[in-house]
Amino acid sequence: MSEGFLGTAAPWTADLVLLLEFAMAVGLLFGGWLARKKRFGKHGRCQSLIVLLNLAVVAVMMVPSFHNHVMPKIPAKLGKAYYALATVHGVLGVLAEVAAVYIVLSAGTRLLPEKIRIARFKLWMRTVLVLWWAVVLLGIATYTRWYVSGFFRS
Amino acid sequence: MKGTRRLASCIASLLVVTAAFATWPRTPAAKAQQKPAPEVKIDNFSFTPPTLTVAVGATVTWVNRDDIPHTVVSTDDPKVFKSKALDTDDKFSFTFTKAGTHAYFCSLHPKMNGKVVVQ
Repeated sequence: MSEGFLGTAAPWTADLVLLLEFAMAVGLLFGGWLARKKRFGKHGRCQSLIVLLNLAVVAVMMVPSFHNHVMPKIPAKLGKAYYALATVHGVLGVLAEVAAVYIVLSAGTRLLPEKIRIARFKLWMRTVLVLWWAVVLLGIATYTRWYVSGFFRS
Repeated sequence: MKGTRRLASCIASLLVVTAAFATWPRTPAAKAQQKPAPEVKIDNFSFTPPTLTVAVGATVTWVNRDDIPHTVVSTDDPKVFKSKALDTDDKFSFTFTKAGTHAYFCSLHPKMNGKVVVQ
């Protein structure tokens, strides 16, 4: 495994994921700005692309890491910040991604039956955006706890 | 006859006491002379000492004193040794049977690396 490029103890992949996730979160804010400017077509494409890209990053990078390093230790070691932060980040992250995919499918396609499509788009989108950012901040906290010396250390 | 027996028992007692005194202080001294088992401490994202020199046949133990998990993985190909993820206070031991320099690192934190020189 190669060394990272951010100057911490993290491997290269963890640094890449951190930057990608931060860029995607900023991208979602930009997508929100597009909606405020009434550019709904661009808004839809921007947010859908980010949601799908994030799905790939989660599936390829985060799920295997969580499965190997965190799953075997929970619930026994949930009292340790190392595992607790990663677990909360993971659970809320899955919730945010599922909700985001649901919005994309409801607003951008006709794949879902009419009955289960959402109607109050703004409320859903804003809620998921806030949740998404909370997850990103938890991800940064997890990265810091896992790879930065001197932070959150006992 | 009685006197001879007494003398013999006195000499025997003296021998026992002398033997006891002769051996008693040597045990801790001998212990003090024994080399401690070679150990590498893992703490604050580093291996201490970073380079450890041991004799052929020595068993090196890595102890994780950090509050996050670490691993100990040989950089040799094929890998000579590889630990599971070591949580706080977990240990991993490996016996080096061949002379040479064995570099290793932590697979979770690739910047962490160390060396065992086997002579």
